[in-house]
Amino acid sequence: MLEVIKPGLETSIQDWPGRQGYLKCGFPWSGPMDHWSFRLANVLVGNAPGAAGLECQFIGPTLRFQRDGVFALTGADMQAKLDGVPVPAWESIAAKAGQTLEMTFAKVGARAYLAIAGGFDNEVFFGSRATFHKGGLGGMQGHAIKAGQVLPVAAGQGVAGRRVKPSARPVFVTDKRWQVEVCAGPNDDWIDEAGQQRFLSTAWKLSSKSDRGGFRLEGPEWTFTERAYNKPPEHGSDPANIVDHGYPLGAINLAGQTPIILVNDWPDGGGFINPYTVPTCAFWKLGQSKPGETYQFVQLSVEDAQAEARRITALCAESSIE
Amino acid sequence: MIYAEPRFKPGGDRFLEIEFGDELNLELNFRAQGLGQAITREQVKGVGEIAPFFSSALVHYDPDVIGYGDLCRELKRLIESVASSSDVELDSRLIYMPAMYLDPWSVEAIDQYIEKINPAKERDPDFVARINGLEDAAQLVRVHSGTEYWVAALGFWPGTPFMMPLDPRCRLFAPKYNPPRTYTKTGTIGMGGGATAIYPVDGPGGYQIFARTPVPIWDMQQKLDAFKEAPYLLRPTDRVKFVQVSREEFDAIERQCAEGTYRLNIVGYQKISLKSYRAWVSTLDQNARF
Repeated sequence: MLEVIKPGLETSIQDWPGRQGYLKCGFPWSGPMDHWSFRLANVLVGNAPGAAGLECQFIGPTLRFQRDGVFALTGADMQAKLDGVPVPAWESIAAKAGQTLEMTFAKVGARAYLAIAGGFDNEVFFGSRATFHKGGLGGMQGHAIKAGQVLPVAAGQGVAGRRVKPSARPVFVTDKRWQVEVCAGPNDDWIDEAGQQRFLSTAWKLSSKSDRGGFRLEGPEWTFTERAYNKPPEHGSDPANIVDHGYPLGAINLAGQTPIILVNDWPDGGGFINPYTVPTCAFWKLGQSKPGETYQFVQLSVEDAQAEARRITALCAESSIE
Repeated sequence: MIYAEPRFKPGGDRFLEIEFGDELNLELNFRAQGLGQAITREQVKGVGEIAPFFSSALVHYDPDVIGYGDLCRELKRLIESVASSSDVELDSRLIYMPAMYLDPWSVEAIDQYIEKINPAKERDPDFVARINGLEDAAQLVRVHSGTEYWVAALGFWPGTPFMMPLDPRCRLFAPKYNPPRTYTKTGTIGMGGGATAIYPVDGPGGYQIFARTPVPIWDMQQKLDAFKEAPYLLRPTDRVKFVQVSREEFDAIERQCAEGTYRLNIVGYQKISLKSYRAWVSTLDQNARF
């Protein structure tokens, strides 16, 4: 049991891969954005890689242990201290009942993950414990954690002093410039040759108007093929309008002239085209970047993106622990 | 148009989108829904979920179980088996939704938009009436409420219906707001492209708006009987018929919904078949209006 002293900035319980299976009812998956760091935190404390843990965004929470437990922090460095003593990330740590874990702002990266042996034991809603904060469902009473709440933890046995091998950890950039993988499609044929080249050669800036539903990008104008102009009226009048269709997770959704990367709490359908999609293997980069930082997109084939996701999943395992 | 062959497009490493055509057409949605049912029935290996939309379907798959190329081949086979049965029937509930047309809340949202964002914006009911060649807002109300709407998909937000008119004489088109509205009240009914939707919660929006229902379509507290199984009211392949109510009736129904006592009229015995729908449509003068 963990008592919330300070909640941090929209800190939420997430599990991985989240609330899958209800896209046709309009439910996003939710879940941790940087699923690489998240899964390693769980592996450190002996949980299944997808067990429910905390996602801390930009400013972490302060939590008091109501009983002894083993925890691990991964992802962004939020300068965590246990009863005032700095604690390392990427390592399992034993806490005693009554001790306080204090996290502050993210020095490197944007999102930190806290896993606790046993995993959080909040109510399962539509197959998952993940929080869809804006939608008011999952997690703790549908929302991010609040001061005064006690977060339920299932019984578990963790071992302190286990470390993730440095070679198995994601490496966060320190110069604010990320190279992010994309796959072409589903609607790349709506963008003309010049527009496609412009997309791949631009350093797109992540807007502060971004949240767990969408990452807005700032950059140059888009140009279109004939298809965007010659279409039946039910598509809508903007070149980027299409007959309402389903949006894949990671889609680079073109809202008029504003590209929005649809991330974990995404609206899963609507009337704009998706010329590109960010694949699973690049989500940790989205999760660890801050507004003002830039993305340079690198096009991968679907098969290469699948292979890269497989490589990351293989790293989220016992073999990465020393 | 309806494509001779469905088009497959990847959406990253674990989604693919199938386009059956590029218009609002019950036949296209039947294909998407039919494929969804076939996938569930045949338990296609590696398919996580499918979300049918108006004329397309989004498929989530596990690339560790099935590759993109193999999945396309498998889905093509399934689509062919579905398309061959043109007398497929889908269960379809009919839900009577009370709606106040030309309601004060839409007026307020439009006023706000004109004042703060776009002073040149023509008021939504007048604008939609004009561009569709109707006499006035009153005729828009008659035409818009004169048909049953087919719930082709839920999406954007949990339980939000994307609907199309079943009576071709009630087809309307409307561009979306540009830039979008920053505020729309829960229950507002509006149109964008050829689709009609109901706003599940307060929020921004892009549809042209001209009506509002007092009945929730999304309720996490699941207060009404109709929400017994899920926090959302509507399901794909439902039909919605808007029933005009006065302000007094609106307020009374809203109160009953808050108390949890309102009983929606939901008709549950009907099936829709493409064959009988086509036969009916062929008897109509498609250029007629109400």
